[in-house]
Amino acid sequence: MANSHGQTSTPSAVVSASDVRKVYTQGSNPGRIARALGRSPPPTISAVDTVSLAVSQEEIVGLAGPSGSGKSTLLHILAGLEHPTEGTVTFQGTELAALSRRGRTRHRLEHIGIVFQHFHLLNSLSARANVALPLVELGVGKRQRRQRATDLLERVGLGDRITHRPGELSGGERQRVAIARALVTDPALVVADEPTGELDTDTGRTILQEFQRVAENRAVVLASHDRETLDICDRLLRLRDGSIADRTSRGEITG
Amino acid sequence: MIDRSRRWANRSLARLQTAGRLTIAQFRQQKLQLLLAVIGVALAVLAITLLVSTGLGVLETGQEQFDTADRDLWVTSSETRMTADGGGGFENTLYDSRTLSTEMESHDGISDAVPLAFDMAYLDNGETDEPQSVVATGVSGGGPAVEVTEGGELPTDPHFVDDPEEVETTREVLIDQETARTHNISVGDTVSVGGSLTAAQDTQFTVVGISSTFEEMSGAPTVTLPLNEFHRITGTTETEPATFITITVEDDADVEAVQQDLESAYPEYEIRSNQEQLSAVLQEQVIHLAAAGALIVLALSAGVALTVSLLSLVVYQQRQTFAALTAQGVSSSLLICTVIGQGLVIGVLGGTIGVALTPPAVIGLNRLSELVVGFEGLVQTAPWVYGVAVGIAVGIGTSAAMIAGWRVSRSAPLDHL
Repeated sequence: MANSHGQTSTPSAVVSASDVRKVYTQGSNPGRIARALGRSPPPTISAVDTVSLAVSQEEIVGLAGPSGSGKSTLLHILAGLEHPTEGTVTFQGTELAALSRRGRTRHRLEHIGIVFQHFHLLNSLSARANVALPLVELGVGKRQRRQRATDLLERVGLGDRITHRPGELSGGERQRVAIARALVTDPALVVADEPTGELDTDTGRTILQEFQRVAENRAVVLASHDRETLDICDRLLRLRDGSIADRTSRGEITG
Repeated sequence: MIDRSRRWANRSLARLQTAGRLTIAQFRQQKLQLLLAVIGVALAVLAITLLVSTGLGVLETGQEQFDTADRDLWVTSSETRMTADGGGGFENTLYDSRTLSTEMESHDGISDAVPLAFDMAYLDNGETDEPQSVVATGVSGGGPAVEVTEGGELPTDPHFVDDPEEVETTREVLIDQETARTHNISVGDTVSVGGSLTAAQDTQFTVVGISSTFEEMSGAPTVTLPLNEFHRITGTTETEPATFITITVEDDADVEAVQQDLESAYPEYEIRSNQEQLSAVLQEQVIHLAAAGALIVLALSAGVALTVSLLSLVVYQQRQTFAALTAQGVSSSLLICTVIGQGLVIGVLGGTIGVALTPPAVIGLNRLSELVVGFEGLVQTAPWVYGVAVGIAVGIGTSAAMIAGWRVSRSAPLDHL
């Protein structure tokens, strides 16, 4: 299946976007009276302009580009956090546009792991409770929740920090808790927006190693400015003004 | 089907438990906000309990006063209104009260009919620069029960015939306990009482006893004197007005039947039972009742506004985390449950503290009212008031939380990330 940009959506793709556009309106549309009085419609901004891509399992795709190029918007569209104005997003054969608001929330819970630049952990809960929280929604029993959260925290090297609150952890440790939280529901796709943006270089490298491990049995999409972050990607898409300006494969990135 | 229900129940229980843990954990982190919200609700509850208790106390005190008066019916010619120029007294619009009361006494079933008059007067014991304004109360010998705590009772007053000046006066009065204490007046002392400042220096009376009966009724210093002397010092011997004629029916008479009989005989007068008279007096205090109602509404509104704003602040501080959790797929219902949990805790704590503060506040207010207006037990509370107050507090907390929770559920995750 080929789209207008010649991007092939492979059957094994975890998530694929086809001719996706996202247009934001600046301000509200004028009402009938305002239109009669000659008020023109508000200006629009095209954040993502006719982008197509497919991300397969065990693949890390990087989204690069200057601020305002549309990489975060594209990331949100792939994660089901944002509706495209045009085009379709398909996740393991399911078109996201067909899902209700509640259905999309459930879809994210079951299939998507999200890592934020600013971690967004609940300061009042321990690291383990933060990681286990999404499992409550899945109806997982208390003992299993605690066990799975503990396992994941041990996996990211925080086995001795499970009862610590976020305020008692370093930036790198907090980001590892956030990664553990993103993985706790065993999602098929993990998206991360500037995952090392708040971290020093050494801590950032540790986190990137985590992402490489994360990608062993799932698809990962990273949006970043950071060269080192983008270096771990199998494919890199450079965006400019909402469009893909350049596609680079792993050999070309590291070469 | 059963498995699905069980899974749903387990999931709901886990959500509730998690929401509870989140609520407690959030409060541990935000002790100041919790404290402020609890204080806000506690103050609102305290305002409500005290205002309701004051209302109860007024009703109870009023009822007690009527019971103490030992009367069955009250006759007035117009509204029983507190007047600005009456110094806390009543309008005396029931004219020729002695003749009228004698007439009424002749009706079947009536044991006695006694006029009772109030007006402003001045009391001078010769030791202060200016006479003190007091409520003068005129009673006849067979008048309502005047409880004398010290000294003797007033003599039965003679009825004016043609020339009031021919009637011999005894020049004896009772004064209330507080006035006696304040002005250092004892039984046997001589005081001057008059309807005007000048007259108060010329007309001397002997204090024959101490009685606080009418001080408790009017809430002001009182001088009680025979009705004929009252009319003389107020310059109303020609019309002999009274505020009320109080009627006691015979033991075997039916009060309602006597009331109906009097109503048909005297359609120009209001004939009220004790309960009706109390209601009429209270209804005339409509401004005060409206003010009390407005204060309750204000206290409630302030409690809701304070709790909503504080919970909104709490939610605002957590907006990015809530947004991140929603983005992660955590349903808004869990977050709303958490916010409602916070509101419930605030409501229960605030309500409990407000109720706990009520008894000492009631004691304090009663001491103050006793000191200022002379009423004892003006503020009286009841167990149901506490229950209603806690219910209102929980309602405030929950409704505020629902508003804050609704705002959480309405916001899209990306708005805050």
